[in-house]
Amino acid sequence: MAEKFDPEEVKQACEGYVKKKGALAFGLANLETLERISPPGCGPSSMLPKVKSVLCVGVGGGTRGAWSADAKTLAYIGDTETMAYRIAYGLAFYLEAKFGYRSIFVPPDMDPEKGARVPMQSMKLHAEVAGIGARSMAGDILLHPEYGMMYYASVFTEMELPPDEPMPDNPCPHSSCVKLYRQSGQTPCMRFCPVECLSGSIGNDDKVAEMNYDAHACAEMSQQYEAIPGVLLDTLDAKDPIERGMALHGPENQVIWYKLAIGAGELLALCYECMRVCPITQTAPLSNPIARGAGMRQKIVEAEAAAKAEHTVEQAAEKGE
Amino acid sequence: MAYGVTQQMIDTFGEIVFKLSLNKQTRRGDAVRELDFDALDAARDETGLTDEEITERIGLLPEQVGVVRVFTERKHHKIDQHRRIYHLGGGKRWKKEAYRSPAERLRFNEEAMMLREAINFKPELAARYIEDGYWINETLNGWLADHAQNTPDAIAILHPGGEVTYAELKSRVDHLTNGLLSLGLMKSDVVAVQLPNTLDFVVSYLAITAFGGVMQTIHMPYRDADIEFLLGHAQARTVICLPAFKDFPTAEVMLSMKEKLSALEHVITVGDMEIEGTLMLESLMIEGTPEIDNPPVGSDPFLLLYTSGTTSNPKGVPLTYQNMMSNARVSVAEFKMTSVDRNLSAAPFSHLYGLFNFHVALNAGATNVLLPAFTPPDLAKMVEATKATTVFLGPAHATAMINAGLMDAHDFSSVRFSVFSGAACPPQMMETYRDKIPGTRISQLWGMTETAGATYCRYDDAADIPVRSAGRASPGDEVRVVSPEDGKPLPANTEGDLQVRGCSVFPGYLNNEEANADAFTEDGWFRTGDLAIIDDDGNMTITGRTKDVINRGGVKFNPADIEDLIIQHPKVEMAAIVPVPDPALGEKACCVVTLLGEESVTLEELCTLLDEHKIAKNKWPERLEIIDEMPLTPTRKVIKGRLMDKL
Repeated sequence: MAEKFDPEEVKQACEGYVKKKGALAFGLANLETLERISPPGCGPSSMLPKVKSVLCVGVGGGTRGAWSADAKTLAYIGDTETMAYRIAYGLAFYLEAKFGYRSIFVPPDMDPEKGARVPMQSMKLHAEVAGIGARSMAGDILLHPEYGMMYYASVFTEMELPPDEPMPDNPCPHSSCVKLYRQSGQTPCMRFCPVECLSGSIGNDDKVAEMNYDAHACAEMSQQYEAIPGVLLDTLDAKDPIERGMALHGPENQVIWYKLAIGAGELLALCYECMRVCPITQTAPLSNPIARGAGMRQKIVEAEAAAKAEHTVEQAAEKGE
Repeated sequence: MAYGVTQQMIDTFGEIVFKLSLNKQTRRGDAVRELDFDALDAARDETGLTDEEITERIGLLPEQVGVVRVFTERKHHKIDQHRRIYHLGGGKRWKKEAYRSPAERLRFNEEAMMLREAINFKPELAARYIEDGYWINETLNGWLADHAQNTPDAIAILHPGGEVTYAELKSRVDHLTNGLLSLGLMKSDVVAVQLPNTLDFVVSYLAITAFGGVMQTIHMPYRDADIEFLLGHAQARTVICLPAFKDFPTAEVMLSMKEKLSALEHVITVGDMEIEGTLMLESLMIEGTPEIDNPPVGSDPFLLLYTSGTTSNPKGVPLTYQNMMSNARVSVAEFKMTSVDRNLSAAPFSHLYGLFNFHVALNAGATNVLLPAFTPPDLAKMVEATKATTVFLGPAHATAMINAGLMDAHDFSSVRFSVFSGAACPPQMMETYRDKIPGTRISQLWGMTETAGATYCRYDDAADIPVRSAGRASPGDEVRVVSPEDGKPLPANTEGDLQVRGCSVFPGYLNNEEANADAFTEDGWFRTGDLAIIDDDGNMTITGRTKDVINRGGVKFNPADIEDLIIQHPKVEMAAIVPVPDPALGEKACCVVTLLGEESVTLEELCTLLDEHKIAKNKWPERLEIIDEMPLTPTRKVIKGRLMDKL
């Protein structure tokens, strides 16, 4: 039987652990909320029946150099999700070893039973409910006002810990995106998507009114695993040896076999264009590790405190205090 | 199908399953972050459902939903979308209008693929030409672009209408390229051209090849039947021609071809005469730099020429840039041609010889002087007026000028190099020609449509060599003489079948398996059908045609010498000796002649002439036929096959 621990202290210890390992953000999602929102069979308890808490970590995206590279290169080096998984994997062991509660690192892959784009668990939902990201115009990619775009990983544990709240405000759309939308009817992420998978509208309150995401078009470009059966069927249908050979060895398909041969789960990753043009991703003050090291975090904390104090003074003035 | 799924089920439910699934997602507001569960519940269908959820909505089994969804996803799936990523990042942003997928950008018409399939070289030979630097990635328009950039003000073309600089020529070519692209023409599409040696020909040729098209030439004397055969065989999509030529209504005939030939879509006419149903070349001059999606490269075919057909129907000869450009490039140094030269071709550009010397001059950055149509006075005047320095002509051109006294009447002193080709060159004529232009060096060149300029005398060769031979093999080419009996190479100075192999030799005839089977040896030597002797220094002299050989009771002889003697008879205009069947000997020689005047000639008179020249009796013709008109190819070669058919 596990010992009694102060949940707040455990939470702080976990946060300390993941940040030491390189995570930027940490939070706990409300389990009941997740179960309420998740489709049947996709909630945390479907995976770990005695789950009591969902811990979420976020790690930073690509370097500035990665963002300025060509998209082909960025597709390979832009994602840092394996780092997030590694930290979550360590956190699960940490929880078990230090506190004695069974924990799992949540598998990041899609559900083999529930269709092409249904994940085993939605890490995005976990992180959003945990308050370390909010849904953007760009196909619901989560954004954080300080860290920009992050990769997320989750840990389920049987230890009960106090959950966090979702972020009070959504940084998306950025004010410059609203301005562009008013002028052209499109935000940058919509405008520069190479497969036009994004569309939507911004309301008079400058918040996202509607976001449409063509996940099929996006996946067509970025996740070639769906092309494999198509390629094989094309091969069977091919009329002559050249056509047959091209179906398998054509330049449009050759990366598939390479990736299969080296056992990579991801066949191409993403094109990242929506994030490359996203002002939040590109200008979030702490998305740059160098800026974090230079004490920017402290400056932001101070700026936020100053703004909060100013707001309090304004409210008091309004109330005539 | 699995789980009771039918095609009808897929057709019926596929699209709604696709829409309800996570393939299409819509979010209104920010319900998750705001924990607005009612809004989330209301928007379930829009945010995307799992297969189990879809099952609840539409009444299929979850497994059936899975199959229906996967098949529908496949229907929608395009497999090469990821290639867009190669056009992004590094400062580039997505521009839909600027992107074309490789499959769309690099597509070919079916007819074009048929032509490309005829490009079939022996791999070991191709490797050798590449390793030795003969075949490189060069194109006609690459050369033009280089000159237009490096020497924009140099004169590229001198023609009766004036002069055109390289920059101006490039600009005109660009404009016509835009026009041809606007017609939907694509790489390897055949565009036929029936034009004399004019600026319109040059601009058309360069514009056709600029976008990767293939130019098919049609000789100016060709008429309806020839044209129909050639356009049909080549599957030409467009033809560029004169409105009319002499008494031949060219445009009208070409328009009638559109009715007969499904591939032929456009007839373009030069000049300012509007003809209903045709497009005017000038109207296709569209300003701007062309955007060429599928630009030509060195290995592409760019010319489709046809043999003159002395023994059968003309055969289509596709030629690649590597064939022709390498041949021209290496010849520049051998001819010592430079950018200061002014090159004049008396040969029409519809023939390989005319195009060959045009290419040589273009590679050198020289000026090409255009002679639209040969007449002896026009050629002489053009040489004098333009101060041409190099002249490519046929022996008949020179003979006509000499006989008319034109070489004495006009100033030929600018000509430093004269190349003869197209027919046998009588040594006496060559000597006379050289005497008339003391400053010129002369050369003989031998080539066929299939071989380009395969042998020629070099600029620095000793004076006697071009008088008696067509010189040595062009760099990158090999020539040999083999025994007609066993195909083994013969020693020097022995007459035999001439074979050529090398970088300039064509890949094979278009759609003519029978001819291709006979054309090449196992190791890639092209059987030219010519008889030749190669001397100890490698200089080659053509002595006749293999197919002209008469086999009289096992004694074979080449009748070319006999024909040359008979032509010297004062009553004879032209002569050709062909075999006729003989029950005893197998074959006998029949001499067919046309007469110079009214007075007839007898077999005895001809044999007396041969006897005087000590010709062995077994080579004398045993039958004489006098005809009104000799069947000739446009290059004025006797079509012996037609004579034999008549006999």
